[in-house]
Formats: sequence, C-alpha cells, structure tokens
Amino acid sequence: MSHTVQIKTEIRDLVALRQACQRLSLNAPVLETVRLFSTEVKGHAIGLPNWRYPVVCDLPSGEIHFDNYEGRWGDAKEMNRLVQMYGVTKAVLEARTKGYTTTEQSLPDGSIKLTIQVGGQY
Amino acid sequence: MKTIEIIVSPTGQLRLETRGFQGTECREASRFLEAALGQQTSETLTAEFHVTEITQQNQIEQKE
Repeated sequence: MSHTVQIKTEIRDLVALRQACQRLSLNAPVLETVRLFSTEVKGHAIGLPNWRYPVVCDLPSGEIHFDNYEGRWGDAKEMNRLVQMYGVTKAVLEARTKGYTTTEQSLPDGSIKLTIQVGGQY
Repeated sequence: MKTIEIIVSPTGQLRLETRGFQGTECREASRFLEAALGQQTSETLTAEFHVTEITQQNQIEQKE
C-alpha cells in the first residue's frame, strides 16, 4: 500500500533551523524580542536578504511572524526559501536518526526532491 | 525497494509519497516524518494501494 500526504511545514526544530540558515548563508537565528509594526514578538529572529525587519520563528507554535509590507519591505520568496530549506533539512535529520539513507535532487521548477531509502522493519 | 519520496516546493509545501510498502506499513513508515514536519493538509491512497490489495486477495483465494 502506498499513500500521498500533503503537509504544511511548521518550523519547530532549532537544530534544523540553524542548519537551514547555514545552507542559505544566512546568519544564525537569534532568540530575541522584535517589534513588528504595532506588536512585539519573541522568538528566533532571522535576517533575510533585502528585508527591512527580521522574520521571527515561534518554535512552540511553528508560526513565522513577519512584516514585509506586502512585499515592499522584503520579497516573500526569501522567506519561502527558508521554509523550503528547513523542510528538507528537518526531513534529512529525521531520516538519519532512523538510520535511513537520503538523496537530494533539485528539480527544474525550484522544488527539492528528497528520496529516503527505508531499511529494517519498515 | 521501500522508499519515501518528499518534494518540497519553493513555497515550502511538502508532498510525501511512500512506495513499495505492503499493507498498512506505509503509514507506519512515514508517520515519524509527518509528525515532525508539520500539519497534514490531505492524504490520498495511490493506485498502488488498490493493486496491492487485489493481488493479496487473489493470493488468499488461490491458497484456499
């Protein structure tokens, strides 16, 4: 039996987030309180290329807080790239803890394909 | 070969697909990833699921 699952990525793991930042040549996330528009948010802040304010990852909820003023203060593509790289990194880390082998491949549409070879019982 | 294929789109959406598993073990095999990666938004059983089920049924009937 096979099945397909769609998942909305939630950033909850600091180790994977640090590695994702490293792979994208971003500075490591810093735990701090950031003022975004009229609210203050606490979490792991990351500065993205050409973004006026950092994005703040709230790890307990998996949410990302940001203010890019509908694209004028930062291109959403940069944030999406971070979420994508986090997803890939987290999946690789999880697979490795099970002792599975992973191979990564970039696809023409910008997606990243990860193949996990499952050994053992499953 | 048993594999789990994950495609992460440029927007960070994840599509996870299991291949080559028997019975319900595909769900077991990918559960650790699904739980770790985020919120599941949909699940579909692939054509292979039905083929496998029918094949298993035929095998049982033949044995009888």
